[in-house]
Amino acid sequence: MLLDRLRAILPGLAVLALLIAGLEAAVQAGMIRRVLMPPPSVIGATLFDLLASGEFVEPLMATLKLVFAGFAIGSLIGIVLGTAMGWWPAAFRLFEPLVELVRPVPKSALVPPLMLFLGIGFTMKVTSVALVVIFPVLLNTLQGVRGVDRVMLDAARTHGWGTAHTLWHLVLPAALPFVLAGMRISLGLALVLAVLAEMLAGEGGLGFLILDMQRSFLIRQMYAWLVILAVLGLALNGIFAALERRALHWQNRNA
Amino acid sequence: MLLELDAVTKEFPTRGGPPARIMDRVSLDVRAGEFMAVLGPSGCGKSTLLQMAAGLLPVTSGVVRVAGRPITAPPPEAVYVFQQYSRSLLPWRKVRDNVAFATEHRLGRKRAREAAEAPLEQVGLAGFGDHYPWQLSGGMQQRVAIARALAAEPALLLMDEPFSAVDALTRLDLHALVLEICTRRRLTVLLVTHDVEEAITLADRIALLTPRPTTVAEIIEVGIDRPRDPVATRELPRFLELRHALLDRLMTRHVA
Repeated sequence: MLLDRLRAILPGLAVLALLIAGLEAAVQAGMIRRVLMPPPSVIGATLFDLLASGEFVEPLMATLKLVFAGFAIGSLIGIVLGTAMGWWPAAFRLFEPLVELVRPVPKSALVPPLMLFLGIGFTMKVTSVALVVIFPVLLNTLQGVRGVDRVMLDAARTHGWGTAHTLWHLVLPAALPFVLAGMRISLGLALVLAVLAEMLAGEGGLGFLILDMQRSFLIRQMYAWLVILAVLGLALNGIFAALERRALHWQNRNA
Repeated sequence: MLLELDAVTKEFPTRGGPPARIMDRVSLDVRAGEFMAVLGPSGCGKSTLLQMAAGLLPVTSGVVRVAGRPITAPPPEAVYVFQQYSRSLLPWRKVRDNVAFATEHRLGRKRAREAAEAPLEQVGLAGFGDHYPWQLSGGMQQRVAIARALAAEPALLLMDEPFSAVDALTRLDLHALVLEICTRRRLTVLLVTHDVEEAITLADRIALLTPRPTTVAEIIEVGIDRPRDPVATRELPRFLELRHALLDRLMTRHVA
């Protein structure tokens, strides 16, 4: 099992290793200016120092907290509003114009106006992240709720299920594949907005550090933090995919 | 009378034109403890009729009464068994929890689970509680759906071609099961089917429907004693006589 998995990802890893080795050689040979791009080995050493000293913990936790809080709040709003709009036509007519108006606006452009009202603290950053999370979750939930099989809903009705019980125990589980697909899109966007908000707010976190190191011309450190951010993104994705597979294990019924 | 349809009419809106009347003043009485089959050519709106009897679909005019009360929503006495078992069971729930579906909103999940064991045993699925529906064969899935309906302890069972999607042998097994359970529990059943032999095997009376706009053409007493065996019943002279008469009525050769 493990060996098979290893064999499957080996070619991709080889390409990656080759690319890093090529970069190292190019920098060492003077083809790329060292000031702009230190050799990967040097970045690796800097990264090791950051990790060994424990210096990485605080900024990582700050960004992680921001992503989680914004993701949780945005997902909750998206699921609740999407379910309501998918279930009650009146709720759909009420909120659809608002959703269609705000949805196409790049949420990054809303960070500056948000700063006017909420300052540059955690509240502003969480709000920015939550805003970008809401829409993919909302639209997918809406679609999932509308797609619940009529026969299943009739089964609940003939057995006397009430609306609340039906929504919670039938509609939401049935729509879960859609909800989770929306959340997976939103998780990536949450990280983007978190980093951007941190850069604009200038108050710590991985995003702030990357910009700050660049401005202080600490280029090696900048790249090291960038690597940490990339690993964070990878880890978030991996964890979410694993949770999703667990939650939807019943979907693999044809496997 | 447990179930009464009184001059039930159903119209569906059409694009631009006048509404299409698919059912015209259908009246039908089902007595308590009786097994009635509704037999009709395909496309005559049998399922629509049953859904209106179940309170799942509104009538255009006329009245549906269950235990004497006019209904506009699914009544607590009746449970509907769907033709598409694979769509009416919840794929994310184990068999036991699919049967608990019938009572969990009244008893709570824990007691509903305990109450699911007896009906599972009755349909011959004891020990399958921890399977998922999609791990079972079609016939077993329909047994789960029947167990779910029994768990609700209904007075009235409304069955919409429940055996049409399984193979012939499995269908006979399920006929035997339903005959046995309905006789023992004295259930009142309204079964919709296009299968003449199924109707005669199971029912006390058969309501024969006309093509659209659907009305009741005739109500026929089956007159075969219970308990019945689904295999032996098919060899009785009365069975053959009814089969001949009904097929003759249903086949379109006279029109063509």
